[in-house]
Amino acid sequence: MKKYLVKRLLLLIPTFIGITLITYLMVRLAPGDYTTLRAGVQGELKQGAIGKEIIEQEKKLFGLDKPIPVGYAEWLWKFVRLDFGISRKDGRPVSARIAEALPITLRLNLIAMIVVYIISIPMGIFSAVRKDSTYDRVSSLALFVLYSLPSFWVGLLLLLVFSGGDYLNLFPLGGEISDWARDFGFFGRLGNRIWHLVLPVVTLTYGSFAFLSRYARANMLEVINQQYITTARAKGLSDNSVVFVHAFRNSLVPLVTLMATLLPGLLGGSVIVEQIFSIPGMGLLAFEAILSRDIPVIMAIAAISALLTLLGILLADIMYGLVDPRIRLEAKL
Amino acid sequence: MSAQGYWSNVWREFRRNRFALAGLSIVAILFVIALLAPLIANDRPYVFVDGGRAYFPLFKDYPALKDVNFRTTRGSFSVMPPIPYSYSAYDLDAIVLPPSARHVLGTDEQGRDLAARMVYGTRVSILVGFIAVFIYVSIGIVVGAVAGYYGGRTDMLISRFIEIVMCFPTFFLILTILALVGPSLTSVMVVIGLTGWTGIARIVRGEFLKLREADYVTASRALGAGDARIIMRHVLPNALAPVLVSATFGIASTILIESSLSFLGFGVQPPTPSWGDILSQSRDFMDFAWWLTLIPGFAIFITITSYNLVGEGFQDAIDPKALKRGRD
Repeated sequence: MKKYLVKRLLLLIPTFIGITLITYLMVRLAPGDYTTLRAGVQGELKQGAIGKEIIEQEKKLFGLDKPIPVGYAEWLWKFVRLDFGISRKDGRPVSARIAEALPITLRLNLIAMIVVYIISIPMGIFSAVRKDSTYDRVSSLALFVLYSLPSFWVGLLLLLVFSGGDYLNLFPLGGEISDWARDFGFFGRLGNRIWHLVLPVVTLTYGSFAFLSRYARANMLEVINQQYITTARAKGLSDNSVVFVHAFRNSLVPLVTLMATLLPGLLGGSVIVEQIFSIPGMGLLAFEAILSRDIPVIMAIAAISALLTLLGILLADIMYGLVDPRIRLEAKL
Repeated sequence: MSAQGYWSNVWREFRRNRFALAGLSIVAILFVIALLAPLIANDRPYVFVDGGRAYFPLFKDYPALKDVNFRTTRGSFSVMPPIPYSYSAYDLDAIVLPPSARHVLGTDEQGRDLAARMVYGTRVSILVGFIAVFIYVSIGIVVGAVAGYYGGRTDMLISRFIEIVMCFPTFFLILTILALVGPSLTSVMVVIGLTGWTGIARIVRGEFLKLREADYVTASRALGAGDARIIMRHVLPNALAPVLVSATFGIASTILIESSLSFLGFGVQPPTPSWGDILSQSRDFMDFAWWLTLIPGFAIFITITSYNLVGEGFQDAIDPKALKRGRD
């Protein structure tokens, strides 16, 4: 296990360099100089109308006057020390803005992930146990429909129907916590936060149910057809005990790795969900940074979200190694 | 079994799936609508007879008829298209009207006919879906084939690179690049194409790793065939089925990405109508203008469902054994 871990961790270094290099090159090699692009976007200055010195100054500020390798090395060195530069929008350090936004998005995604697992795994297993029953067919059709519903549309409709009082006024229009709830006790605030989270979490999760429950169903079917299950049945165990004691645990193994696959999708999805429900997380921060061409913020978010995904994959691999000895013994990567 | 025999088997399996066939029919209908959009929604008549002369304004420009409004001027005989509005002509006397006999799907905030815009929006979704997927399937096949066929160090380097690219959340990556290069129909297609290839590359790599050890590959190598010939003629055709399945699902998700981008204002730029853009415009009056919210959203949903159904049917058809084992 130790050897496996060390090898896995060492591999992080080239991947980290790759991620940061792609982020840097993406901004550096994009057609059009972004210092002039910014001026054009803000509409205050026409292209070419800015003084040469200002452009030079801007370029210096972002290391754009240096050759790519030097510029990259300097940016990377700052990046590892968590110095992501100054946001162009409000002049605050990017790291401070990210420190505010990241926990919000992580919390939202973590809750979404738990909800997806809690709902779809039992559904999938039930489908597998009652294979080809009416329940199996209806649920797989329903999940398929959910999977094809565009999330921004669902988000809008949920807002229209459940918030604002046009039809129902059950949930808040957006945000994280109501202003009037800030003085509540711990449980009051928690309750208020959960109340705010209902619609965003629904929007973020419903599309993943289909994927995960089918996966759980397929895994379960595979396990049920194994010989040791037949043996368990042959020695007279009840159906429930076969399914829950013997099959269920083994069918869970591949589901662990899926967490890593779901993560980038959920993170990307936060851009839309956070924009619709005005949640001040990474997605909204990224969207606003992109709108105002706030390059330091964009670069930091791109690299950080890729690194988070990488950590997710690593975590899943390690857990996989823990539950399945064959993997860590071979140490094959 | 010949290649033709294989594909006709796949078709036979596919046809047995009613949902997949329904999906395929809807896809075909959308294609026809996209192709014939100018004939379906146009503010100029097919035929216009006036003063004993027949004009065909939809097919030809007549200087004499330049300022004629064909909706009010009927002439002695005229045949209008089913939706007698263009997708961009605004009418400020008819803003945000609900569906009626005049405007079957209502109008938007500039008085443009929603039906005409929806018809033209079909073009955007099909164009983006197919071209972007074509780009990334091509890249994915080349990258995956090289990695899988040569193996060893080449494979290691390429696989690492694929892993790195896969770490970036795709939607965010696309949004960022679009912000840097400027959004337009072309850049949306190219950027989705350039970022989406990793899944295909992994599939092709896997198939090639498996197939390069096959006896028929060794045989053709013994006969003196070069790498390029072996890859193109012998391995690739046998690795193609899972790639095409994944590409079909890819079209569905590309259409979703395009509409999400347009929804956020980073997609196709006005006046070109995109379903996502129509939906995004509706946000200001969604409390009463239900047609502006429900119709484009439903169109996106139906389109995505159809491609997914085709993909599902296709997947089951290329691997009927898996279906019987219960993996569907």
